[in-house]
Amino acid sequence: MDLMEKLTILTNGAKYDAACTSSGSDRQGNTLPAGCCHSFSADGRCISLLKILMTNHCVYDCKYCVNRSSNDCERATFTPAELAELTIEFYRRNYIEGLFLSSGVLKNPDYTMEQMIRVIEILRYEHNFWGYIHAKTIPGASPENVRRLGFLADRLSINIELPSEQSLNLLAPGKDKQAILSPMKQIRIEGEQNTRELAVYRHAPKFAPAGQATQMIIGASPESDYQIIRLASAMYGKYELKRVFYSAYIPAMEHSLLPAIDSKPPLLREHRLYQADWLMRQYGFDAEEILSPEMPNFNPYMDPKCNWAINNMHLFPCDVNAASLEELLRVPGIGPTGAKRIVSARKNGKLGMAELKRIGVVLKRAQYFILTTDTPAGSRMSRDLAARALIDPKIYAFGMEQMSLFDDIQGLPGAQDVASIPDAVEEAVLCLATNF
Amino acid sequence: MPGHEFLIKPADVVYVYDGSFPGFLCCVHESVYASELPFDIFPDTDDAPLSLMDVKYIETDDDKARRVHASIPAKISKRAAELTRTVFLSCMKQKELRLLEFLLRAYREGGAMLNNFGDAIISPLLKAEKHLLGEAHLLKGFVRFADVGGGLVATITPKNYILPFISGHFTSRFRDEDFMIFDKTNRAALVHQRNPQRIGDSLEWVHGKGEIIRIDSIEFPEVSEQEAKYQSLWKRFYDTVAIEGRENPRCRMTHMPRRYWENMLEVKDSL
Repeated sequence: MDLMEKLTILTNGAKYDAACTSSGSDRQGNTLPAGCCHSFSADGRCISLLKILMTNHCVYDCKYCVNRSSNDCERATFTPAELAELTIEFYRRNYIEGLFLSSGVLKNPDYTMEQMIRVIEILRYEHNFWGYIHAKTIPGASPENVRRLGFLADRLSINIELPSEQSLNLLAPGKDKQAILSPMKQIRIEGEQNTRELAVYRHAPKFAPAGQATQMIIGASPESDYQIIRLASAMYGKYELKRVFYSAYIPAMEHSLLPAIDSKPPLLREHRLYQADWLMRQYGFDAEEILSPEMPNFNPYMDPKCNWAINNMHLFPCDVNAASLEELLRVPGIGPTGAKRIVSARKNGKLGMAELKRIGVVLKRAQYFILTTDTPAGSRMSRDLAARALIDPKIYAFGMEQMSLFDDIQGLPGAQDVASIPDAVEEAVLCLATNF
Repeated sequence: MPGHEFLIKPADVVYVYDGSFPGFLCCVHESVYASELPFDIFPDTDDAPLSLMDVKYIETDDDKARRVHASIPAKISKRAAELTRTVFLSCMKQKELRLLEFLLRAYREGGAMLNNFGDAIISPLLKAEKHLLGEAHLLKGFVRFADVGGGLVATITPKNYILPFISGHFTSRFRDEDFMIFDKTNRAALVHQRNPQRIGDSLEWVHGKGEIIRIDSIEFPEVSEQEAKYQSLWKRFYDTVAIEGRENPRCRMTHMPRRYWENMLEVKDSL
C-alpha cells in the first residue's frame, strides 16, 4: 500500500476528532504560545496539526466510532519512520504546526502506546523536531507509558467519549470509566510534580507543558446540556483540563441504540456548548448560572450569555464608567478585550456611546444593558426590545435541526421555511415571550 | 516652553516625500517648524495624485529624522514610537497625515493619550495596527514553502508590509534551512541563509540572520518530483480531513479570506 492510500485512510479515521489546537506551549522559535492555524478545511475548521491515526485497526467495538472492529472498511498502519518523515516534510514546508497523533488499539493498549512513542522519539531525536505534538493516550495503557508519552508530547488527551457512565457502558462496551479517568488523574499529578521540579531545576524535562484536554460526543446519547456543562466544569476543576471539546455526533451506522442514520448532526447544540464553555473559562460564569435543572437545555434562539442577561434584567443597567471588570464582562456585546479597554480608557475621561463604538463594543447588543454619559435620563429599556436585538441570526444558517434527539423540544425552522429573517425574528420573539 | 505646536494651522499645501520612514519623520519636522498642518502627504511615486495645491517636496535629512525619531519616546512614550512605526508600514489610507495629526496632539498631551481607546484620532491608528498584526499572524500560518533544491521558497501578497513582523518567527523556526519569502505586493523579500563555518576539519552550517531585500520580481524553478509528491500528499490530506455533511464555505472564508488563496496550494485550484 503506498503512502497516499495510507494517508487517506488514516486521515479519514482521525477527522472526527474535534481538537486541533496548537496553543499553550512556549518553545521559542518552535511553537507559538497562542497557537497557529495553517489552513481551514471546507467545513471551516482550523488545520493546525497533521491530525492522523497511527493505525485504524482496533480491537474495540464502540458503536459510535468509524474505526470499530465490526465496521467493514479498509485498514492501514503507518510504520513509525514513515509517519515521522511525513510530519517533518509537512512541517518544513510550513503546512502544519506539528502532529496530532491518535490511534486505534492494535493488539493491546500498551503495544499501541509503544508504537506512538516510537514515532515521537524518531521525530524528536532523529529529525530534531521541536514543534507541537498532541498525543492521545490510549485508555488502559500502563502508567509508565503515559509518563513516557508525557515527556515527549506537548499536550496529552484522553477522550471521555460520552457524557455519562451509563452511555459509555451502553455504547462503548470495551472501555470503562476508570480506564479513562485514572490516566487523566495521573497526568494532573505528574503535571503538578513537574511544575515543582521546574521551579527547582530550570532544565528539568517538561511533562506535557500544554496540559491535557478531552472530548465528548454530543447527541449520540440522551444527556441534557445542563449535565454536559456540569461535567465539563467538574473536569476543568478536578483534572485541571485546558480544554474540553464537544463533537456533534455524525451518524455513521444504523443501530438501535443510536440516532437514526439520516438525522442531522446537532451543530447548533455543539455551537451553544462551545459558547457556554467559553463563558466558564473566560468570563467567570458558573455552570449553574448558565443552565439549571429547571432549564436544562440551551435556548436555541439566543447565545447563553444573552440568555443569562435577559433572565437577569434586574442586574442591569451596568454603568460603564463605574462597573468592575467582572461586571462589564457580563454585558452582552462586551468581550474580554472590550472590558479591559473600557477600564483603561475611562481613566482619561467619561465614556459615551461614540467612544464605546470605537473601543469595539457591539452596541447593537450592549445598548440595552449599559449606562453611559449620554444615556437619556429616565430611559427605561424594554425586555421585549432587548430580546429582539439579541436573537442570534446565525441560527437559521444551521438549518432544520433538533436541539436534542431525546425530548420533545421543537425543531427550528430552516432557512427554507421562513420568508425572511425579519419575519423569523418576529416569530422567535413571540416564541420567547411565552417562555419568559 | 510654550511650543509652536499650539499655533499649527491647516495650510493649503501638500507634502511629497521619498516614501521612507526617515522621509516621513522629516515631514513631521517640517510641519512643526513651519507651523502648518498640510492638506495631505504623499510618497513620491509615479502614481501620486495630481494636486491643485502648492506642493512642498520634503528632502530626507538624516539629522532631522534622527531628532524627530528620538523625540517620540522622549516626549510621548515608547508605545507611541512603536505605534508610529507599525502604522507607517500598514496599508491605512492617508497614514502619513493621520500619524502626523496623532503626533502633533500627543506631543502636547503626552503618553496617556494612547490609553484613550475611544478617541477619534487614536482608534483608527489602533485599528490599522491590529489589521497589520492580524495579517502578520495569519501569514505565519499561510505561507507555503516549496523545496526547489538548495532552499525553500514562498510567495505572498499581503495588503500590509508585514515582512519585518514575520521575519523573527521564520528565521528562528527554520534556522537550519535556506529560505526566501517573496512579498509581491511590496516588492521585497525575506532571505535567510545559513553560514558555512569551519569547525575543526568539518564544514558545518550554522544559522545566519534573516535579511529583507528590495526586489521587483523573481522566477522560481519548476518543482521536482519529490516536491510534487509532498504537494499532492498535502492536498490529499486537506481534502480528506474535512467532514462531509459539515461543509461551511462562509466560515472557511471568514477565517481564511479568499485573497490569500492564490498562494496556498491546497485551495489555489478552487479559486
